[in-house]
Amino acid sequence: MRIVLAGNPNSGKTTLYNALTGQLEYVGNWSGVTIDVKEVALKKRFGEGKVVDLPGAYSISPYSSEEVITIDFVKAAQADTIINIIDTTNLARSLFFTTQLLELGIPMIVALNKTDILMDKLDINVLQKALGCPVIQISAEKNENLTKLVQMARSAKNPATTVQLETDQERFTYVDEILQGVYIEKADRTKPTAFDKLDRVLTSKLLGLPIFIGVLWAVFYLSQSQFGPVFSDMLSVYLLEPLTASIDGLLTGMGISSLLHAFVIEGLLGGVSAVLGFVPLIMVLFFLLALLEDCGYMARVAVVMDIFFKKIGLSGKAIIPMVVGTGCAIPGIMAARIIENENERKRLCILAPFIPCGAKAPVIALFAAAFFSNQSWVAPLVYLSAIGIIFVVGLILKKIFTIGTENSVFIIELPQYKIPRLTYALRHMCDKGWAFIKKAATIIMVCNTLIWLLQTYDFSFNVATSANDSILAAVAGSIAWLFIPLGFATWQLVAGAVAGFIAKENVVGTLAVIFAVEDALLHEVGGPLETVAGLTAVTAMAYMFFNLFTPPCFAALGAMNAEMKSKKWLAIGIMVQLTTGYVVALFINQIGTFMMTGAPAAGLIPGVIIVATLIVVLAVLFKRGSSERTGVLVRK
Amino acid sequence: MTILSSAVGTTYKVLSVANEEKLGRFLSTLGLIPNELITIISKAGSNYIVNIKDSRYAIDTALAGQIEIGAVTPNSVWNH
Repeated sequence: MRIVLAGNPNSGKTTLYNALTGQLEYVGNWSGVTIDVKEVALKKRFGEGKVVDLPGAYSISPYSSEEVITIDFVKAAQADTIINIIDTTNLARSLFFTTQLLELGIPMIVALNKTDILMDKLDINVLQKALGCPVIQISAEKNENLTKLVQMARSAKNPATTVQLETDQERFTYVDEILQGVYIEKADRTKPTAFDKLDRVLTSKLLGLPIFIGVLWAVFYLSQSQFGPVFSDMLSVYLLEPLTASIDGLLTGMGISSLLHAFVIEGLLGGVSAVLGFVPLIMVLFFLLALLEDCGYMARVAVVMDIFFKKIGLSGKAIIPMVVGTGCAIPGIMAARIIENENERKRLCILAPFIPCGAKAPVIALFAAAFFSNQSWVAPLVYLSAIGIIFVVGLILKKIFTIGTENSVFIIELPQYKIPRLTYALRHMCDKGWAFIKKAATIIMVCNTLIWLLQTYDFSFNVATSANDSILAAVAGSIAWLFIPLGFATWQLVAGAVAGFIAKENVVGTLAVIFAVEDALLHEVGGPLETVAGLTAVTAMAYMFFNLFTPPCFAALGAMNAEMKSKKWLAIGIMVQLTTGYVVALFINQIGTFMMTGAPAAGLIPGVIIVATLIVVLAVLFKRGSSERTGVLVRK
Repeated sequence: MTILSSAVGTTYKVLSVANEEKLGRFLSTLGLIPNELITIISKAGSNYIVNIKDSRYAIDTALAGQIEIGAVTPNSVWNH
């Protein structure tokens, strides 16, 4: 028994899917949250069977790429029963899709969702008769009538209607005729409501942007400067440090060799506990993002951002992948599917990972603590710079890939506002926190252990007398010259940055392993990052920005590859991100060092040569881009 | 006239939507088709917020300029 959930975007399919299966799939209050087919077994109390959640669609004729999946799936008739979920506040538009689904000749149930916020009165019997298929009122959020819905889905028969409609106009006329008998009372939604007034403020030219910046600032301030660090400190002081100390004591008591002792404490535990300390910070961030995404504000932000994103050849919808990306770049990159234009979507996949994700938060927090005494401007500055970098790089990409950047128009549905669900946000938060812990205990632990081994042994596999003679020092040191113009050419820092390509948490983990100090000491002003690695405030900033703006991590590159479906574009993306991270760090180091000390930084001349070469390359690419554009215009 | 010269708070009748095939078809599945009603809820920044078939949409000036609208005549109003 395979039940397929189909319906318009934002009609509540995923909420119903989660309620039926006990899963915790990602939901948000805007159109196009679900971008992939998901299938899982029903909860036990509903009996045997599987449920499939599909991306939303307005029609059988697809428009955006996520809609194509829906249609392919429904058409391939892999469904035993369709549950067509309807946002009852948008009955006419929803029934348009319903009548198309009925024509497929698959057993179907219509589930009227969101009836709890409905102002109209309906005669469901009339609707049932007219459609020729069973109709039931449910509330996916409040778990109302779900058992009955599944029972009905089990006994559903092929729809009884035989109408064949050709044009969209005919179909809407048909739906309107049905609805005449269905509405007993209908609220007039053309009258402005209090929410429309709110929309006018939130999307206004003057206030829209400041409000959005204020909201984002609040999210980061609360997660990274307030609650996050408080809980993180408590976790470190009351759990992680005592735990390490007791293991330390245990090992000493057992009298094992000092090398094995160091392996466990510094290699296995050191890096991981440095990373685990950030779990609360990540959890607070995801909690706040879940609230933000659930209330309906994101679609309004897309409206506000549209005029800005148009300048770089993107639509306002591009802000959604970026805000999602502040949690994790992977769902962020996947969310780029809400963009219909392919060229636009690919450019967005390259740009979205510039927004610092949750895994980069520990990097920001580490350097904010160790060099800037935790001043509250550091994190906002990083996010503001990210937006600036997105615009500059976005403009460059637009000038290079000019084809497909013209005639794009913008339309987005503004969903009704609702109070975000605390239980969902809490579950989402725990889910993400747990995922972070699992990652720390697997990939991060393996990487850190490897780093420890590499910095302990030399090439003849003897214990190196000093870490400076180790394999890691030799390997990382051999490419360290590349980073002279950026101001951090010590092997320890290079190793951290390289390990960061696997996963960004590794930057913190690796530094903790290499400097083999307690987490607290690594964070202190005047700690080993300053005394051993030789970073100054300026070069620390350069190092942090390099780590934040180079390619995010292997998993995110995988997501980019999957979304762009082109090795060429993946290569372009990686090149763009590497160059961006390098050049930003170069500028920070050279300009910053000169301003602070009055003397030019090391590597000024190679730096100038690199920038000059880049300018020439860009000039050539721009010229090619604009001639391709004229070529297209002439052919037209 | 197009939506660009519409008045906020007024309901109009859609006459035609001038757009390339794919987007045009998408818009028609939302109910943006000739003879349907469209209400201009507000003008915010460079966007218009409109009501089509009980849903609110934000559209930009480029799209607003492609939607031809006319005054509602009594017999085109469909009441429940």
